[in-house]
Amino acid sequence: MTRFERYLSKEIGVEFKACLYFFCILFFYCVCRIAEGDWNASILHMTEMIFLTYGMGFFQLLCLDNFDEGEKLGLRETLYILLCVGIYTFAAWLGKWFNAPLQLLLFSLYLCLAYVCAFWVYKIKRDLESKALNEELKEFQQRNKDVG
Amino acid sequence: MKYIINQMADGEDELILNYREVNEEVERILAFMEQGSRRILGWRENEQVVIAPGDLLYAESVEGKTFAYTEQEVYRMNYTLQQLEVLLQKEYFFRCSKSMIMNINKVAALRSLSSNRIDATMENGEHIIISRTYASDFRKKLRGE
Repeated sequence: MTRFERYLSKEIGVEFKACLYFFCILFFYCVCRIAEGDWNASILHMTEMIFLTYGMGFFQLLCLDNFDEGEKLGLRETLYILLCVGIYTFAAWLGKWFNAPLQLLLFSLYLCLAYVCAFWVYKIKRDLESKALNEELKEFQQRNKDVG
Repeated sequence: MKYIINQMADGEDELILNYREVNEEVERILAFMEQGSRRILGWRENEQVVIAPGDLLYAESVEGKTFAYTEQEVYRMNYTLQQLEVLLQKEYFFRCSKSMIMNINKVAALRSLSSNRIDATMENGEHIIISRTYASDFRKKLRGE
C-alpha cells in the first residue's frame, strides 16, 4: 500500500465517522428546533457541525486511539467520550446551536449515548466479521488439507 | 559420489542419502528430494533437521536471520524469507507481513480488529496480527479468489 493509499484509507474512515456523528447531531438539533415550533435550521450551524465532526474525526484517530472502534469500553475510553462530548458541548454553546441550557445538557447526554452506541455498533460489526472469517477459515482448511 | 540402486520385490520405495557434510552436491540432491517429499531443511542448535512444511506454524525474519516455528521447536533456516516463500509454494502459506509467513492451516481462530486488521490465533496460542495492508489479500486467499 502506498503512502497516498494509506492516507486515503484514513481519510475515508474519518469522513465516514464525520457523517455518522454529523447526522446524530443534526437529528438532535432538528428535534430541538421542531420542539420550539421553529421549522428552520441554520446553514451556518450545519456548516459548523460538519467542520467540527470532521476535525474531531482526525482528533479521535490521531490523539485518542480511535477509541470508539476499540476492543473494550473501559475507564480510558469513558474519559475520551467525556472529553469529546465536552468539546462538542462547548462548540454548541459557543456557536449558539441551542436556545435553552436544558437543550445543551440533553445534547451532552445524547452524545454520550451516541458514542456508546457507535462503540457497540462497531463491536457487533467486528463480531459478525469474525464469525464470517472463521467460517471461511474452516472451509479453507478443508480445501487445503495436506499431509505435509 | 557413488550411488546404489536396488530393486525390491516388495516394501515401500525409499531413498536414503548418507553424507559426511552438506556440500553443494548434497544440497542439490536434498533439494531434489525435497521437491518430491515436500520437506525443507532447518537447523536446531548444531543439528540439521528435515521439516515438513505442514508442521510449520510460521516463519519470520529477525535481524536478517530466518526462523521457522513449529508447535514445539524453533529452527534456524539458511534461506531468506523470500527463498522460503518460493520453497514452500503451498496454498496454505500466506505472507502476513514484511517479515513473516504464516501457515493458514495452523490457525485456530481469527478475530476481526478495528482498522480492518485481523488477529490470528495459532494452534499454540500465539497471536499474529495481520495488518490492514495484508488483511485484504488474506481475506481473498481464504475465499480462494
